[in-house]
Amino acid sequence: MSEPKIKTPLPETISGNISGLIDGSQVSANVGDILLNVAREHGFRIPTLCYHPGLTSDGNCRLCLVEVNDRLVSSCLYPLRTPGFEVKTNSPRLKRSRELVITLMLSRAPKSKVVLSLAEEFNLKPDPRLARTKEDQCLRCGLCVRACQAGGAEAISLVGRGSERKVCGPFFEPPIDCVGCLACAKVCPTSVIDFIEQRDYRAIWERHFPLVSCPICSRPFATQEELARPNADQICPSCRRRAMAQALYDVDYLRR
Amino acid sequence: MRFSTPQDFNQYISSLPPSAARRLWVCGGPGCLAQGAEKLLLALRNEASKTNKDVSCQLLAVPTGCLGLCERGPMVACQPEGYVYEKVKIEDAQEIVVETLISGRPVSRLCQDPKDPTASNHPFYLPQKRLIMRRFGRINPDSFEDYLRTSGYEALLSALSIGPLEVFSRVENSGLRGRGGGGFPAGRKWRACKDAIGAPKYVLANGDEGDPGAFMNRSLMEGDPFSIIEGMTLGAYAVGASMGYIYVRHEYPLSVERLKLAIKTAENFGLLGDDILGTGFNFNLSVIEGGGAFVCGESTALMASIEGREGQPRVKYVRSVERGLWEKPTLLQNVESWANIPLIVQHGSEWFKQIGAPNNPGTKIFSLVGQVKRSGLAEMPLGSIIRTLVEDVGGGPQKGRTLKAVQTGGPSGGCLPTSALDLPLDFDSLPEAGTIMGSGGLIVMDNLSCMVDVARYFTLFLKNESCGKCLPCREGLEVAFNILDDLCCGRGQTGHSDLLVNLAQGIQDSALCGLGQSAANPVLSTIRYFREEYLEHEEGFCRAGRCQGLFLVKIDRDKCNGCGACQPVCPAGAITGREREPRTVKVEKCLGCGACLTACRFRAASTERKVAGV
Ligand SMILES: Cc1cc2nc3c(=O)[nH]c(=O)nc-3n(C[C@H](O)[C@H](O)[C@H](O)COP(=O)(O)O)c2cc1C
Ligand code: SF4
Ligand code: SF4
Ligand code: FES
Repeated sequence: MSEPKIKTPLPETISGNISGLIDGSQVSANVGDILLNVAREHGFRIPTLCYHPGLTSDGNCRLCLVEVNDRLVSSCLYPLRTPGFEVKTNSPRLKRSRELVITLMLSRAPKSKVVLSLAEEFNLKPDPRLARTKEDQCLRCGLCVRACQAGGAEAISLVGRGSERKVCGPFFEPPIDCVGCLACAKVCPTSVIDFIEQRDYRAIWERHFPLVSCPICSRPFATQEELARPNADQICPSCRRRAMAQALYDVDYLRR
Repeated sequence: MRFSTPQDFNQYISSLPPSAARRLWVCGGPGCLAQGAEKLLLALRNEASKTNKDVSCQLLAVPTGCLGLCERGPMVACQPEGYVYEKVKIEDAQEIVVETLISGRPVSRLCQDPKDPTASNHPFYLPQKRLIMRRFGRINPDSFEDYLRTSGYEALLSALSIGPLEVFSRVENSGLRGRGGGGFPAGRKWRACKDAIGAPKYVLANGDEGDPGAFMNRSLMEGDPFSIIEGMTLGAYAVGASMGYIYVRHEYPLSVERLKLAIKTAENFGLLGDDILGTGFNFNLSVIEGGGAFVCGESTALMASIEGREGQPRVKYVRSVERGLWEKPTLLQNVESWANIPLIVQHGSEWFKQIGAPNNPGTKIFSLVGQVKRSGLAEMPLGSIIRTLVEDVGGGPQKGRTLKAVQTGGPSGGCLPTSALDLPLDFDSLPEAGTIMGSGGLIVMDNLSCMVDVARYFTLFLKNESCGKCLPCREGLEVAFNILDDLCCGRGQTGHSDLLVNLAQGIQDSALCGLGQSAANPVLSTIRYFREEYLEHEEGFCRAGRCQGLFLVKIDRDKCNGCGACQPVCPAGAITGREREPRTVKVEKCLGCGACLTACRFRAASTERKVAGV
């Protein structure tokens, strides 16, 4: 279905400052602030996995759960809206759910550094009774998909239901829209996305990308497909920095 | 014909000719259709045209909504006498036409009790209160005139005169609670949606009905489609919505067809669309076919699916009554909730509150299946005792079996032991006991059901239906299933039950949507009430004789009357014994399949633990 075209007045947005308690200490926030950010700014430790400050939150790993007025909510998505909120970040219920989530992560991705360090922080060991016959290291957190989307390529997605769910290109083929930026591989918390990066060549998702050289310094730096994106920078990052510095210097010089 | 004022419409209703004096109602419910009701209807029409020269006589045999006793279908009812016939065959058609249709006499041999052909004392119907199903057996679901003749659209007409505010307060005061599972007070949702800012507002009907084996919503959509449409029209009127969608799974083609036809009819008469009955009230309604995933019944997934996105739940901390479909205020109710609305508006909230139990007003349709003598659809006042439904309506367990557990609430519901049979069926008591009302599924289990196996079955269903978005549900249900599978296949270990409890509680707390949050119920409730069976499975014993290889069979010589029913069903030929003499089982040969347990009707065959070394 497509959305019927009817003009809509937006619901009025409330704004202002509110305050409440996190683990007993008074904090203040703006209406609509995301709880995770507010808590972190005030120095509370809330573990996360599928959250990335530069990407839209999805709330799928359930690691960042906190208790708000006796309800468990994902703090990476929870907007503070009412004054007098009471947040707990460490109740027994939270401890149990957090331990379950990390134990399940351990059974799915026992080799991931991120997961291992979480397990260490919360003092958890892999439970051999939960071991998988085929562990594949991917936690289906979708960070790769969201990073790819944020870059504008939308080349990969999570498809399939339940345990069949996996990251792949359309029709399980190498993604035709992939521009070879490697954003997915770099953001992946379990480093499970294979890629090759050489001086003048990259490969990822079974796609191969010769690198184009920088017109100034001749160093290969980007794929053809990356350069074809709208507003893509046509010179390499270090030449860009140098050019910016030069420009600043020129301005300063002229002013003097 | 399009009515441009309420008066015109009213006049049309009162000028409708009365329906034929006597009609034969052939059950068109899912159960009876599967048992050949369609052919039966044709046969009855054929006979009718033979015996009477008048062509229109054929039309006196009419399809109707589910008559309830699905197991004894195809069913036929005759009005106005009220005869109810069970297990009707094509060969009976002539007699029914001659005796009943033409002469008004019952065909007693087709009645459950020949002395009571109207089934007025039928134990299946006696405890029921058929309100939502009141038109089943009284109208042809496709006939607008039939609907009008049975007080249809009276509620809308009175609504247009009392105004939207009064419609809203009737619903709010009635205390109606959502029939789709949670039992959330409808009034609170209506108020929030009414007060929400934004346009257009939407009203949605949830007809996804993903529970395996459930068919109450389907029967309603197929048996009385106009009542859902009228309910939604009233809802839209009260909260100020101008658009609506009915979300139906595509496996229900007949529901889709009937609803579409009904919408078209209502549009033609000026009861849907722009400027309804000339009052300036606009309401456009259409049907959306869903892909049929269980999780699409969840509200945010359902809306995602209507919007054309992947049917996946979303974390939302702003309620959909404020920002739902396309971020607009949206009122979602189950189809059965909607069908209650015309009744409430027409008869008032006080009337409604008299039915059912305090805080749980009204009736609920249950689909009663499993190991009972009579399975089918039963509509009970809320607060009815489970035992009434199982033993009176359902007739209790099959011969030679004993009741063991009752599972309510669909796949993510829980199992209750027989000691809980005196609990009332309402939205508060069931959760206290560890299960849910769900959409009204009720499965009866007897001594041959293994509770670990039951938990495994539902966990498998939920694991496969998990959308896979959030980690605890996706990964947790998979490992929970693996452990249950180990227990049922003789790989159980000490401590598995405790591990399952831990796992289940963790999933319950941390999953993103209602599917994961309730997916622990089958495991938690069976461990809560049947822990011994779990401990036995850890040691490799299944007392129910359901998990292959986890038991031995012994035959009690005192109870065995030598009928020999078990002998031919044993695939291993392990049962020996002479005609009319008690049988014995050769332990060395027995595969532990349990076939003989099912066959024995005298409780002579039972299970015992395997002895080490055998
Ligand atoms: C996994 C899942 C499946 C659901 N399936 C259905 C369904 O098939 N039909 C339904 O009416 N509600 C279903 N619900 C409940 C809906 O989310 C929603 O609460 C309901 O439709 C609201 O209507 P009500 O208040 O009238 O019950 C489901 C919920 C969950 C979590
Ligand atoms: S590949 Fe990595 S980033 Fe992508 S879903 Fe899997 S774990 Fe997350
Ligand atoms: S609880 Fe299950 S169905 Fe719901 S979002 Fe999570 S994975 Fe999907
Ligand atoms: S970080 Fe919030 S759910 Fe994953």
